[in-house]
Parts: sequence; C-alpha cells; structure tokens
Amino acid sequence: MSLAAEAFVSQIAAAEPWPENATLYQPLKEDQILLSDCASSLAVQAYLRMCGLPVQVVCRANAEYMSPSGKIPFIHVGNQVVSELGPIVQFTKAKGHSLSDGLDDVQRAEMKAYMELVNNMLLTAELFIQWCDDATAAEISRPRYSSPYSWPLNNILAYQKQWEVRRKMNAIGWGGKTLEQVYEDVSQCCQALSQRLGTQPYFFSKQPTELDALVFGHLFTIITTRLTSGELAERIKGFSNLLSFCRRIEQTYFEDKSSST
Amino acid sequence: MATPDELFCWEGDFGLPSVSTECLLVLAYAQFAGAPLKVHKISNPWRSPSGSLPALRTNQNETLTRPADIIIHLRKQKFNADYDLSAKEGADSLAFISLMEEKLVPALIYTFWVEPKNYVELTRSWYSEHMPFPLSLFLPGRMQRHQLDKLRLLREDASLEAGDELEKELYRDAMECINLLSQRLGSQKFFFGDSPSSLDAYVFGHLAPLLKSRLPNAKLQQHLKSVENLTHFCSDILLLYFPRDARENSNQKPSSAAEAGGDGDEVPYKRRKQLLSALFALGAMLSYAFLTGIVSIQHQQGALLEPPHHNPEQDEEDG
Repeated sequence: MSLAAEAFVSQIAAAEPWPENATLYQPLKEDQILLSDCASSLAVQAYLRMCGLPVQVVCRANAEYMSPSGKIPFIHVGNQVVSELGPIVQFTKAKGHSLSDGLDDVQRAEMKAYMELVNNMLLTAELFIQWCDDATAAEISRPRYSSPYSWPLNNILAYQKQWEVRRKMNAIGWGGKTLEQVYEDVSQCCQALSQRLGTQPYFFSKQPTELDALVFGHLFTIITTRLTSGELAERIKGFSNLLSFCRRIEQTYFEDKSSST
Repeated sequence: MATPDELFCWEGDFGLPSVSTECLLVLAYAQFAGAPLKVHKISNPWRSPSGSLPALRTNQNETLTRPADIIIHLRKQKFNADYDLSAKEGADSLAFISLMEEKLVPALIYTFWVEPKNYVELTRSWYSEHMPFPLSLFLPGRMQRHQLDKLRLLREDASLEAGDELEKELYRDAMECINLLSQRLGSQKFFFGDSPSSLDAYVFGHLAPLLKSRLPNAKLQQHLKSVENLTHFCSDILLLYFPRDARENSNQKPSSAAEAGGDGDEVPYKRRKQLLSALFALGAMLSYAFLTGIVSIQHQQGALLEPPHHNPEQDEEDG
C-alpha cells in the first residue's frame, strides 16, 4: 500500500473495534490453493487466532484477483480490505491488538530480520519448487492453479503465472539453482530458525509473536502437503524442536476448532 | 599452495576499492578471511570470464559469479571468516542478510539506477567515462534497463516508474532497515565481537557505496550519514582493510574539490579519446567517400567517365 493510503487506513482502523463478521479470503482449499498461498494464509490465520480476533475463512476461486495487492490472503474487516501479513499486522496494531509490544528494540530488530529470512528463503524456495521444477509444475501447480477455469483460459493463466515466477527467480539470482541447492537453502534456513528457537516454547520466550505465526504457517503447510517428492518435508522433520513448535501451536490455537467440527 | 584464484571486479572510486556492492562484498570477505586472491580491477565486464562482474576464476578453471557462491567456495578452501561464530550468531547473520536483501537492496537500486538525477549525473557518467569506447555507448543503458526490470520484479509491479511516492516507500523501508542494523551493531566494533564475519562483509558492501558516492539526490545518504555507528563501521573497515584505496582518494580530494575540476584527473585521457575517435570517424568517412567515388581527386577525374565503359569491357573479358 502507498504511504498515504496506509495512513488513511490506520486512521479509519483506529476508529472502529474488530467486528464479528471479519472474513479471510483464500483460493479453493481442496482443488486450487498452492503450497505458498496456503502457507501465507495459515500464517495470517494463526496470527489472528493468537491475537484472539475471530475471522471466518471463505474460499473463492478468484481470491487472487480480488486482493488489492494481488497476494493471498486478504481480510475484509468492516469496510476495509487488507492483504498480506505485514500490512495486516499493522492494521491490527492500529486497532490496538499487538503481539510484539513487549519486545525491546534489539528483539524487535531480530524479529523483523527473521521474518525477512522466512520470506526471503522459505517462501522463495516454495515458489521455486512449485513453478521452476518442471515435474512439480506439470503435475501439481499448473493443474491446480487453473482448475476453476475451462480451456483455453486455464492454459493461458497457468503458463502466464509460471512465466512470471520464473522471471522473478532469474532477477533475484535463483534462476540458475538446482533443486538440490534449493533444498540445501531450506535446510540452512530451518537450521537458523531451529538455533534461534532453541528450547524455548516460542521465538521470544513465553509469548507468541507474528514471527511464530509466520514460521508455523510455512512449516506446518510444508509438512502436511504432498508434493512430487517428500524431500522438503523430510528436511524439515529433521529438526525436532521445530516439529514440536508446530505441534504446540496447532494444539493451542487450532485444536478447539478441529474438536468442535 | 596452488596458484591463487583470480577475482575480476569493477574499478574503485570515491575511496572505495570497488564501486559495485557485490564486488565490495567479495573483496571485504576475502580480506577478513585472509584469502589470497589475485584481483583484477577492470572496467570492461566483457573481459571477465563470465561476462559480468564480479567473477571468480578458480584454479580448476571454474567460474563463479554469485557472491554467495564465491563465499561458499572460499569457505571450502578453509578461508572462513565465520569460524568463531556460535550457531545462534550464524543464524542471526542469515536473518540480517535476508533483511538487507528484502528492504535495502530495492532502495539502493532506485538510488543509483532509477532516480533520474542520480542516474544521469553520477552512475551513467561514471560508467561511460570508465568503460572503453564502444561499450560506453550502450552498456550503461543496458545495465540501467536490467536494474529497472529487477526492481519491477522485486516489487511485483510491471509498470513501476521513478516517482516521489515510490521513492518515499522504498526509502522508508530502507531507513527502517538501516536503523535495525544500527540497533544490532550497537557500540561494538563489528557485528559479532572483535573480528569481522560475513555479515560485516555484506553490510559493508551494501552501505559503503551509498556512504561514499557523490549523489546529487542524497536523501538516503544523509540518513545513513546521520547514523554514527554505521558510518564509523564503514570507515573503520576501509582504513583497516583497504588502506591504499582510502589513502589514494584522500590525496585526490584536494585536486578534485571544485565540481568542474572533478574531471580534472580524467581530462587528458578524455581529450585523447575524443581526438582518437574524431580521427577515426574522419578516416572512416574519407575512405568511404573515396571508395564509392563520391569524392574524387584531380587525377581520378577520368574515373567519373569510366564506369559506363567498364561493363562492356568486362563482358568482353568474361565472354
């Protein structure tokens, strides 16, 4: 969002409390949504649950086009629409709900740095595996991404998206990487996260923050999603403290929903 | 030890060993780790083994271009500046490098390559002056288009153009990143204690050009200059690890104090280049004129009448 729009949204956000009918939009869960979008969506859902803010998850085939920035997920609160975790965190902060108020400056710097680490390495690796690996792209990504549409639109949209992602990978220097190298990068990233987490329950000891939500979203999705090769999930399962971290958050924040359904 | 690896990188200026972030990063890491490298400072990327700079040619004749790959290669050869880091510090390095790539790099691309005044007066003129003749005509433009495309892909906005609002957004993120780095550095000499590591190399590589270049539109530079610990950090690394380059430029400073005199050292070469290119152009035009007969000299006046006769003569010869 531009600066002026952000300031405007913050002002309006501060005026109203969180409504009961807030909705979160994502692509169709069974057939359409891809790994990277599912991870981002789960991260936002985890964050909102951690803040204690109720939100309804609605699946729509054109969620990506409805979103103001083109990214999934986005939330519709009152008469405002906000997409992506960063702006959503600021939006909830303007409404008075924040998880990172108790952190001092150095910790906040580390939290932001680790969030960028997840975005820079994990999210990029997910996009690479989905769209730049020919096997995965042909078997999973293209069919799923274009499933709501009929021929020839499905082909056009799928190849367009693939082309866009491949161009971005080339621009950031991931174009020449092999799948092995990408798995290595993911291992390195998880090792860094594992080191930072150590034996604590959350990244900043007792209370979860947006970093915990983001890491949970990505790791849980990777572990529970079936891809053409199970290598990625295996690499993450090698870090036991990350596994127990995911299980802990699932039990604390998502269990009540699964037990009631 | 086998012959040292060769590193090709951009030339230096403004007191820096090299003007490019990636080259500075690799040079700094090599100095920190004590890796013996044969450094070729060139201003013609087509002369490098991979066609772009930086490029490392190892002694197995392999060529590496990405700074991360070069650092991994040096580490494998036991030149490791991160040897003393604890596991948590290694994790923090990775996190802060990612922070810089996401928040600072777009603003740096904008400052040097997209912002119109900076690009025209500093970047393009520097590259045109330092590159050899035919390349200086088109290569800076090509590099600018490549950087603009990269910025567009990073921001995922295909119609991105230079403008005040974009500048404010990018600079806001970059200033936040600089403040976060400053908070992490605190009052220490280097990011992790007394000896520099790869994170120090990355921070130095990204901040030093911003700090030292003579930018016409210097908003981000002023913010960086106001952050004392990072300014001292960069100057200390320059003095400790690149003393020759820091000294060379401080000697040049008095002579290039005036803006017009900023070209003072370059003028002899510039005039010579201009003279040579003018002579070459003149020679080319004259030889073309003679060969096609547009211009004729006295004793060749008959040549103007000959062409009609040539053909029948040739036919006779052929037939």
